[in-house]
Amino acid sequence: MQKVLSIAALFLLLTSPLAAQRFFTRDAGVKFDATSPLEKIEGFTKSGTCVLDIKTGKMEWKVLIKGFQMEKALMQEHFNENYMESTKYPHAQFQGLITNLGEVNFAQDGKYAAQVKGQLTMHGVTKELDVSGIVKVSGGHLTLGSTLQVAAADYGISIPGVVRDKIAKTIKVTVEALLKPM
Amino acid sequence: MKKAVISLLLIGVIGLAIGYYQWNKPKEDMASSKAEATVEAGALLKEYAADEDAANTKYLGKTIAVSGQVKESSTDAGTVKVMLDTGQDFGVYCTLDSLARHARTSFPVGENITLKGKCDGLNLDVQLSRCVEVRK
Repeated sequence: MQKVLSIAALFLLLTSPLAAQRFFTRDAGVKFDATSPLEKIEGFTKSGTCVLDIKTGKMEWKVLIKGFQMEKALMQEHFNENYMESTKYPHAQFQGLITNLGEVNFAQDGKYAAQVKGQLTMHGVTKELDVSGIVKVSGGHLTLGSTLQVAAADYGISIPGVVRDKIAKTIKVTVEALLKPM
Repeated sequence: MKKAVISLLLIGVIGLAIGYYQWNKPKEDMASSKAEATVEAGALLKEYAADEDAANTKYLGKTIAVSGQVKESSTDAGTVKVMLDTGQDFGVYCTLDSLARHARTSFPVGENITLKGKCDGLNLDVQLSRCVEVRK
Protein backbone atom coordinates (compact mmCIF):
# COMPACT_ATOMS: atom_id res chain seq x y z
CA MET A 1 0.00 0.00 0.00
CA GLN A 2 2.77 2.36 0.97
CA LYS A 3 4.51 1.60 -2.29
CA VAL A 4 1.39 2.42 -4.25
CA LEU A 5 1.06 5.68 -2.37
CA SER A 6 4.63 6.70 -3.00
CA ILE A 7 4.30 5.84 -6.66
CA ALA A 8 1.12 7.90 -6.77
CA ALA A 9 2.92 10.74 -5.04
CA LEU A 10 5.79 10.51 -7.47
CA PHE A 11 3.34 10.48 -10.37
CA LEU A 12 1.65 13.62 -9.04
CA LEU A 13 4.99 15.27 -8.55
CA LEU A 14 6.09 14.52 -12.09
CA THR A 15 2.86 15.56 -13.76
CA SER A 16 1.87 18.64 -11.78
CA PRO A 17 2.63 21.74 -13.89
CA LEU A 18 5.22 23.22 -11.57
CA ALA A 19 6.66 20.33 -9.66
CA ALA A 20 9.95 22.08 -9.10
CA GLN A 21 10.54 24.51 -6.32
CA ARG A 22 13.44 26.40 -7.79
CA PHE A 23 13.64 28.01 -11.19
CA PHE A 24 16.75 29.24 -12.90
CA THR A 25 18.26 30.87 -15.94
CA ARG A 26 21.73 31.97 -17.00
CA ASP A 27 20.35 33.94 -19.97
CA ALA A 28 18.49 36.78 -18.26
CA GLY A 29 18.31 40.00 -20.28
CA VAL A 30 19.30 43.21 -18.53
CA LYS A 31 19.12 46.51 -20.37
CA PHE A 32 19.94 49.97 -19.12
CA ASP A 33 19.03 53.27 -20.67
CA ALA A 34 20.70 56.50 -19.57
CA THR A 35 19.63 58.42 -22.64
CA SER A 36 19.38 62.18 -22.29
CA PRO A 37 17.97 64.62 -24.84
CA LEU A 38 21.58 65.08 -26.02
CA GLU A 39 22.85 61.52 -26.22
CA LYS A 40 21.60 57.99 -26.75
CA ILE A 41 23.17 55.78 -24.07
CA GLU A 42 22.13 52.14 -23.90
CA GLY A 43 23.70 48.88 -22.86
CA PHE A 44 22.52 45.32 -22.95
CA THR A 45 23.49 41.85 -21.79
CA LYS A 46 21.74 38.51 -22.10
CA SER A 47 23.97 36.72 -19.60
CA GLY A 48 22.39 37.54 -16.26
CA THR A 49 21.65 34.73 -13.84
CA CYS A 50 18.38 34.53 -11.95
CA VAL A 51 17.13 32.02 -9.38
CA LEU A 52 13.62 32.03 -7.94
CA ASP A 53 12.29 29.81 -5.18
CA ILE A 54 8.52 29.71 -5.66
CA LYS A 55 7.80 28.33 -2.20
CA THR A 56 9.52 31.14 -0.35
CA GLY A 57 9.41 33.85 -3.03
CA LYS A 58 13.12 34.46 -2.68
CA MET A 59 14.94 35.55 -5.79
CA GLU A 60 18.46 36.47 -6.75
CA TRP A 61 19.73 38.18 -9.89
CA LYS A 62 23.35 38.71 -10.81
CA VAL A 63 24.96 40.30 -13.82
CA LEU A 64 28.55 40.96 -14.84
CA ILE A 65 29.21 44.60 -15.67
CA LYS A 66 31.81 43.85 -18.33
CA GLY A 67 29.21 41.79 -20.19
CA PHE A 68 27.19 44.90 -21.14
CA GLN A 69 27.56 45.71 -24.81
CA MET A 70 27.12 49.27 -26.00
CA GLU A 71 27.02 50.67 -29.49
CA LYS A 72 30.11 52.84 -29.24
CA ALA A 73 33.47 51.43 -28.15
CA LEU A 74 34.48 54.64 -26.37
CA MET A 75 31.18 54.85 -24.51
CA GLN A 76 31.60 51.26 -23.32
CA GLU A 77 35.12 52.08 -22.13
CA HIS A 78 33.87 55.08 -20.15
CA PHE A 79 30.99 53.04 -18.73
CA ASN A 80 33.43 50.42 -17.42
CA GLU A 81 36.35 52.61 -16.39
CA ASN A 82 34.87 55.92 -15.24
CA TYR A 83 31.38 55.12 -14.03
CA MET A 84 30.90 51.48 -13.01
CA GLU A 85 34.61 50.81 -12.27
CA SER A 86 33.97 47.25 -13.36
CA THR A 87 37.47 46.01 -12.57
CA LYS A 88 36.93 46.91 -8.91
CA TYR A 89 33.23 45.99 -8.87
CA PRO A 90 32.76 43.26 -11.49
CA HIS A 91 29.09 42.51 -10.85
CA ALA A 92 25.73 43.92 -9.83
CA GLN A 93 23.30 41.88 -7.78
CA PHE A 94 19.70 41.99 -6.61
CA GLN A 95 18.37 39.85 -3.79
CA GLY A 96 14.68 40.10 -3.16
CA LEU A 97 11.52 38.58 -1.83
CA ILE A 98 8.08 38.49 -3.47
CA THR A 99 5.88 40.07 -0.79
CA ASN A 100 2.53 39.21 -2.36
CA LEU A 101 3.33 35.56 -2.98
CA GLY A 102 -0.28 34.56 -2.23
CA GLU A 103 -1.46 36.48 -5.29
CA VAL A 104 0.80 34.59 -7.68
CA ASN A 105 -0.63 31.21 -8.64
CA PHE A 106 2.35 29.25 -9.90
CA ALA A 107 0.07 26.28 -10.58
CA GLN A 108 -2.01 28.09 -13.17
CA ASP A 109 -0.87 29.64 -16.42
CA GLY A 110 -1.38 33.36 -16.43
CA LYS A 111 0.11 36.78 -15.77
CA TYR A 112 0.46 38.01 -12.21
CA ALA A 113 1.61 41.30 -10.75
CA ALA A 114 4.39 40.81 -8.21
CA GLN A 115 5.72 43.12 -5.54
CA VAL A 116 9.33 42.55 -4.67
CA LYS A 117 11.30 43.97 -1.77
CA GLY A 118 15.03 43.61 -1.79
CA GLN A 119 18.54 44.97 -1.99
CA LEU A 120 20.36 46.08 -5.09
CA THR A 121 24.14 46.09 -4.94
CA MET A 122 26.22 47.78 -7.59
CA HIS A 123 29.38 49.83 -7.69
CA GLY A 124 30.02 48.55 -4.16
CA VAL A 125 26.89 50.19 -2.70
CA THR A 126 23.83 48.31 -1.40
CA LYS A 127 20.40 49.97 -1.30
CA GLU A 128 16.92 48.83 -0.34
CA LEU A 129 14.61 48.71 -3.32
CA ASP A 130 10.90 48.07 -3.87
CA VAL A 131 10.15 46.78 -7.32
CA SER A 132 6.93 45.87 -9.07
CA GLY A 133 7.07 43.34 -11.82
CA ILE A 134 5.23 40.68 -13.74
CA VAL A 135 5.38 36.92 -13.31
CA LYS A 136 4.11 35.00 -16.30
CA VAL A 137 3.40 31.31 -15.75
CA SER A 138 3.28 29.36 -18.97
CA GLY A 139 3.69 25.66 -19.68
CA GLY A 140 5.92 24.95 -16.71
CA HIS A 141 8.14 27.97 -17.30
CA LEU A 142 8.18 31.35 -15.63
CA THR A 143 8.92 34.71 -17.19
CA LEU A 144 9.90 37.51 -14.83
CA GLY A 145 9.96 41.07 -16.05
CA SER A 146 10.33 44.48 -14.52
CA THR A 147 11.48 48.01 -15.14
CA LEU A 148 13.24 49.89 -12.38
CA GLN A 149 14.53 53.41 -12.02
CA VAL A 150 17.99 53.69 -10.56
CA ALA A 151 19.59 56.98 -9.58
CA ALA A 152 23.31 56.90 -10.35
CA ALA A 153 24.10 59.16 -7.38
CA ASP A 154 22.53 56.66 -4.93
CA TYR A 155 25.23 54.17 -5.86
CA GLY A 156 28.16 56.54 -5.60
CA ILE A 157 28.44 56.98 -9.35
CA SER A 158 29.45 60.56 -10.02
CA ILE A 159 28.95 62.15 -13.38
CA PRO A 160 31.46 64.95 -14.09
CA GLY A 161 30.17 68.45 -14.87
CA VAL A 162 31.19 68.51 -18.53
CA VAL A 163 28.99 65.55 -19.42
CA ARG A 164 26.30 66.09 -16.79
CA ASP A 165 23.68 67.08 -19.35
CA LYS A 166 24.51 64.17 -21.62
CA ILE A 167 23.76 61.39 -19.16
CA ALA A 168 20.39 60.88 -17.53
CA LYS A 169 20.51 61.12 -13.72
CA THR A 170 17.97 58.36 -13.33
CA ILE A 171 18.74 55.28 -15.31
CA LYS A 172 16.02 52.99 -16.55
CA VAL A 173 16.87 49.33 -16.07
CA THR A 174 14.72 46.69 -17.76
CA VAL A 175 15.05 43.04 -16.83
CA GLU A 176 13.51 39.94 -18.35
CA ALA A 177 14.20 36.32 -17.56
CA LEU A 178 12.71 33.07 -18.75
CA LEU A 179 13.19 30.60 -15.92
CA LYS A 180 13.14 26.85 -16.17
CA PRO A 181 12.88 24.26 -13.39
CA MET A 182 16.20 23.50 -11.79
CA MET B 1 49.89 87.08 -37.91
CA LYS B 2 48.08 85.38 -40.78
CA LYS B 3 50.34 82.36 -40.31
CA ALA B 4 49.47 82.15 -36.63
CA VAL B 5 45.75 82.18 -37.38
CA ILE B 6 46.12 79.48 -39.99
CA SER B 7 48.16 77.23 -37.72
CA LEU B 8 45.66 77.72 -34.88
CA LEU B 9 42.82 76.81 -37.23
CA LEU B 10 44.75 73.79 -38.40
CA ILE B 11 45.34 72.62 -34.81
CA GLY B 12 41.64 73.11 -34.13
CA VAL B 13 40.62 71.05 -37.14
CA ILE B 14 43.08 68.27 -36.27
CA GLY B 15 41.79 68.29 -32.67
CA LEU B 16 38.21 67.96 -33.86
CA ALA B 17 39.16 65.16 -36.24
CA ILE B 18 40.90 63.22 -33.48
CA GLY B 19 37.95 63.75 -31.15
CA TYR B 20 35.52 62.62 -33.82
CA TYR B 21 37.64 59.55 -34.57
CA GLN B 22 37.90 58.64 -30.87
CA TRP B 23 34.15 59.03 -30.44
CA ASN B 24 33.45 56.77 -33.40
CA LYS B 25 36.41 54.47 -33.04
CA PRO B 26 35.48 50.93 -34.02
CA LYS B 27 35.15 48.16 -31.48
CA GLU B 28 38.12 45.87 -31.13
CA ASP B 29 38.31 43.26 -33.87
CA MET B 30 38.14 39.99 -31.96
CA ALA B 31 39.47 37.82 -34.78
CA SER B 32 42.80 39.68 -34.63
CA SER B 33 42.75 40.32 -30.87
CA LYS B 34 45.72 38.57 -29.30
CA ALA B 35 44.90 36.17 -26.47
CA GLU B 36 46.74 37.19 -23.31
CA ALA B 37 46.24 33.74 -21.81
CA THR B 38 45.37 30.28 -23.04
CA VAL B 39 43.63 28.03 -20.57
CA GLU B 40 41.56 24.87 -20.38
CA ALA B 41 37.89 25.35 -19.33
CA GLY B 42 38.09 23.13 -16.23
CA ALA B 43 41.28 24.79 -15.02
CA LEU B 44 39.77 28.27 -15.52
CA LEU B 45 36.67 27.50 -13.45
CA LYS B 46 38.84 25.91 -10.75
CA GLU B 47 40.95 29.05 -10.52
CA TYR B 48 37.80 31.14 -10.17
CA ALA B 49 36.29 28.81 -7.58
CA ALA B 50 39.50 28.86 -5.53
CA ASP B 51 40.01 32.66 -5.51
CA GLU B 52 37.72 34.90 -7.53
CA ASP B 53 39.72 38.09 -6.91
CA ALA B 54 43.01 36.51 -7.92
CA ALA B 55 41.43 35.03 -11.05
CA ASN B 56 39.89 38.41 -11.92
CA THR B 57 43.30 40.08 -11.60
CA LYS B 58 44.61 37.54 -14.05
CA TYR B 59 41.76 37.36 -16.57
CA LEU B 60 39.04 40.03 -16.11
CA GLY B 61 38.55 42.23 -19.16
CA LYS B 62 41.29 40.45 -21.08
CA THR B 63 41.10 38.47 -24.30
CA ILE B 64 41.67 34.83 -23.41
CA ALA B 65 41.52 31.58 -25.35
CA VAL B 66 39.64 28.78 -23.61
CA SER B 67 39.53 25.21 -24.83
CA GLY B 68 37.07 22.56 -23.79
CA GLN B 69 34.39 20.14 -24.79
CA VAL B 70 31.04 21.53 -25.96
CA LYS B 71 28.40 20.70 -23.36
CA GLU B 72 25.58 22.64 -24.97
CA SER B 73 25.10 25.29 -27.62
CA SER B 74 22.08 27.45 -28.32
CA THR B 75 20.85 30.27 -30.52
CA ASP B 76 18.31 32.77 -29.24
CA ALA B 77 17.30 35.76 -31.34
CA GLY B 78 20.63 35.70 -33.15
CA THR B 79 22.74 35.33 -30.01
CA VAL B 80 24.82 32.17 -30.07
CA LYS B 81 26.06 30.74 -26.79
CA VAL B 82 28.31 27.79 -26.13
CA MET B 83 28.79 26.07 -22.77
CA LEU B 84 32.20 24.48 -22.34
CA ASP B 85 32.27 21.49 -20.02
CA THR B 86 34.44 21.74 -16.94
CA GLY B 87 33.53 18.40 -15.38
CA GLN B 88 31.79 20.41 -12.65
CA ASP B 89 28.23 21.72 -12.20
CA PHE B 90 29.06 25.06 -13.74
CA GLY B 91 31.01 25.71 -16.90
CA VAL B 92 32.58 28.35 -19.07
CA TYR B 93 29.73 30.14 -20.81
CA CYS B 94 30.70 31.82 -24.06
CA THR B 95 28.66 34.28 -26.12
CA LEU B 96 29.77 34.59 -29.74
CA ASP B 97 30.68 38.05 -31.01
CA SER B 98 27.75 39.61 -32.83
CA LEU B 99 30.08 41.83 -34.86
CA ALA B 100 32.40 39.10 -36.18
CA ARG B 101 31.84 36.78 -39.10
CA HIS B 102 31.85 33.17 -37.94
CA ALA B 103 32.76 30.08 -39.96
CA ARG B 104 30.03 28.26 -38.03
CA THR B 105 27.53 29.08 -35.33
CA SER B 106 26.49 25.62 -34.28
CA PHE B 107 28.76 23.33 -32.35
CA PRO B 108 28.15 19.61 -31.89
CA VAL B 109 28.01 18.44 -28.27
CA GLY B 110 31.19 16.65 -27.28
CA GLU B 111 33.50 18.32 -29.79
CA ASN B 112 36.69 19.86 -28.48
CA ILE B 113 36.92 23.50 -29.47
CA THR B 114 38.83 26.63 -28.57
CA LEU B 115 37.06 29.96 -28.21
CA LYS B 116 38.72 33.31 -27.81
CA GLY B 117 36.85 36.14 -26.13
CA LYS B 118 36.71 38.74 -23.37
CA CYS B 119 36.58 37.39 -19.84
CA ASP B 120 33.69 39.10 -18.02
CA GLY B 121 34.20 37.32 -14.69
CA LEU B 122 32.37 34.74 -12.58
CA ASN B 123 28.57 34.55 -12.48
CA LEU B 124 28.12 30.92 -11.38
CA ASP B 125 29.82 30.05 -14.67
CA VAL B 126 32.86 31.90 -15.92
CA GLN B 127 31.44 34.12 -18.66
CA LEU B 128 33.13 35.13 -21.88
CA SER B 129 31.67 37.66 -24.33
CA ARG B 130 32.52 38.57 -27.92
CA CYS B 131 33.89 35.10 -28.65
CA VAL B 132 35.31 33.83 -31.93
CA GLU B 133 36.40 30.28 -32.63
CA VAL B 134 40.11 29.61 -32.88
CA ARG B 135 40.49 27.04 -35.61
CA LYS B 136 43.33 24.57 -35.51
